[in-house]
Amino acid sequence: MFTRHVWRQLAAHIDGELSPQKAGQVERHEAQCAECRAEREQIGFGMEMLDHLPPVEPPDAIWTSIESALQEHRRPKRSAAWRLESRPFESNPWRWAFAATFVLAVAGAAYWTLARHAGTRWDVVRIDGAPVVNQKAIRGEGRIGAGEWIETDSGSRATVKVGEIGSVEVEPNTRLRVVTARPGEHRLALARGEIRAKISAPPRLFFVDTASGTAVDLGCEYTLDADKDGSGLLRVTKGWVSFQWKGTGWKDLESLVPAGASCRLHPSVGPGIPYFDDAPESLKQALDAFSFERAGFGFDKAAYGALDVVLAEARVRDTLTLWHLLSRVQNEDRARVYDRIASLTPVPQGVSREQALKLDPETLRRWKDELAWTW
Amino acid sequence: MVDLSDRQIGAEIVAACRSGDRDAFRALYDFYKARVYSIALYFFHGDQAAASDVTQQVFLKLMTNIGQFRGDALFSTWLYRLVVNACMDAARQRKSEAAGSDRSRLESVAGPGSQEQDYVRTQMANSVRVAVAALPPKFRIAVLLRYFEDLSYREMAKALHCSMGTVASRLSRGHSILAERLKGLTETKG
Repeated sequence: MFTRHVWRQLAAHIDGELSPQKAGQVERHEAQCAECRAEREQIGFGMEMLDHLPPVEPPDAIWTSIESALQEHRRPKRSAAWRLESRPFESNPWRWAFAATFVLAVAGAAYWTLARHAGTRWDVVRIDGAPVVNQKAIRGEGRIGAGEWIETDSGSRATVKVGEIGSVEVEPNTRLRVVTARPGEHRLALARGEIRAKISAPPRLFFVDTASGTAVDLGCEYTLDADKDGSGLLRVTKGWVSFQWKGTGWKDLESLVPAGASCRLHPSVGPGIPYFDDAPESLKQALDAFSFERAGFGFDKAAYGALDVVLAEARVRDTLTLWHLLSRVQNEDRARVYDRIASLTPVPQGVSREQALKLDPETLRRWKDELAWTW
Repeated sequence: MVDLSDRQIGAEIVAACRSGDRDAFRALYDFYKARVYSIALYFFHGDQAAASDVTQQVFLKLMTNIGQFRGDALFSTWLYRLVVNACMDAARQRKSEAAGSDRSRLESVAGPGSQEQDYVRTQMANSVRVAVAALPPKFRIAVLLRYFEDLSYREMAKALHCSMGTVASRLSRGHSILAERLKGLTETKG
């Protein structure tokens, strides 16, 4: 007897989730139904395909945000949303934790007194229009804390004072979040738009997360913009910025961008190769082709042609670009890049061709330190 | 980091979390963070900001409401109920926004693809991501929950607020649609 199709139960059967009785029914039906047998194969194939999805580690900033949000919400001035979610203090199992936090806070009062200037909330000053912080328009001055957003429309701009280490101008049509606001870590997340950062502090105290990676301040001034799709541009006007991108388990990238140089950003390949703004246009265009055409997998011949142009057009100063290229080209092209740098400026002592082609970190660092005199 | 099983999470860690132990929370977060984030990331078409928001929201709710967890169910079932609610709520709120930008966001979780050996793997992963992202939300969340957390159908039914039969049906349909969309890919690869 031909029974009803069983496709609805096929995934459960493959996963061993059916009772022996139901499993038997499914198997008997399959034995006489080619359609359901084919469907079973298809579902099994769909399950196998998921093995191509790697688990992705979340950014470290999430835990920081959670901790900051908990700290914020533990303060007496809690938001309406938090009050709705929280239970009364009397029945809240957190009361002892809150009490302990309070005691610790009192004990650490001296520290907080010193640190509060750069503490959990930063000043926001309106420049134009009506920038919005946490969904409230700022008319003159306001404050912003960890976990809160500042948003500008086409007619508004604002300045966020980053603790005591500098400031960030938020340009029109920008959405920016304060992730961490502590003396030891000042971290923003740029969802879209443009910011201009002026930071005067030791390196690695100020960070801006984007969909394409994180800008790490090395003592600098820069503009950073991000499109809605996550691509963008970093342009450094003073000092250095390290732009870091953590690949999905396959490859991490870092681009070091000095004053006068820029770096294109793309969410699927991270930071591009930095170039000086005064570099030949043909070099910049070729660099774009080399760095980003592969993002859409429209790769390969265009990229090889582009590499030829970059090598031919590079000036001494463009060894910035060539040095970054060393670790981004295919193995067979690395020697060409090495030779081009060597033809533009003498290879310093302690840098051997063999070690450079092997991408020995110490060799590359030493070479970069020497080349940087020309950047 | 301590190696923890879900059963241990249910007993020891939850008890410590209830008493406000920050280290226990951190252990809990470390144990589940990649799975929660990955589900949200692939659910939201590779949108890292959305996945980060959902992850933060889920763990904040978890930490503030852990006293309500009575231990009569697997901890992960309760956690993934929060994940499902957060994903589906956010998806409803941003329905129109998400529809327009699938492709570009999907590429944001792609690997660099700059090495030949990564190329095929990256291309395959991207195709699977695109296919997953194109699933209707109810199928998508079911497929992702099953894949990343390997919950039983009973636990999935609790997390998804539906019957086990519905879970089975959504998984069958979801995987079948995925296979249909990815068939061409493997055929061209030979």
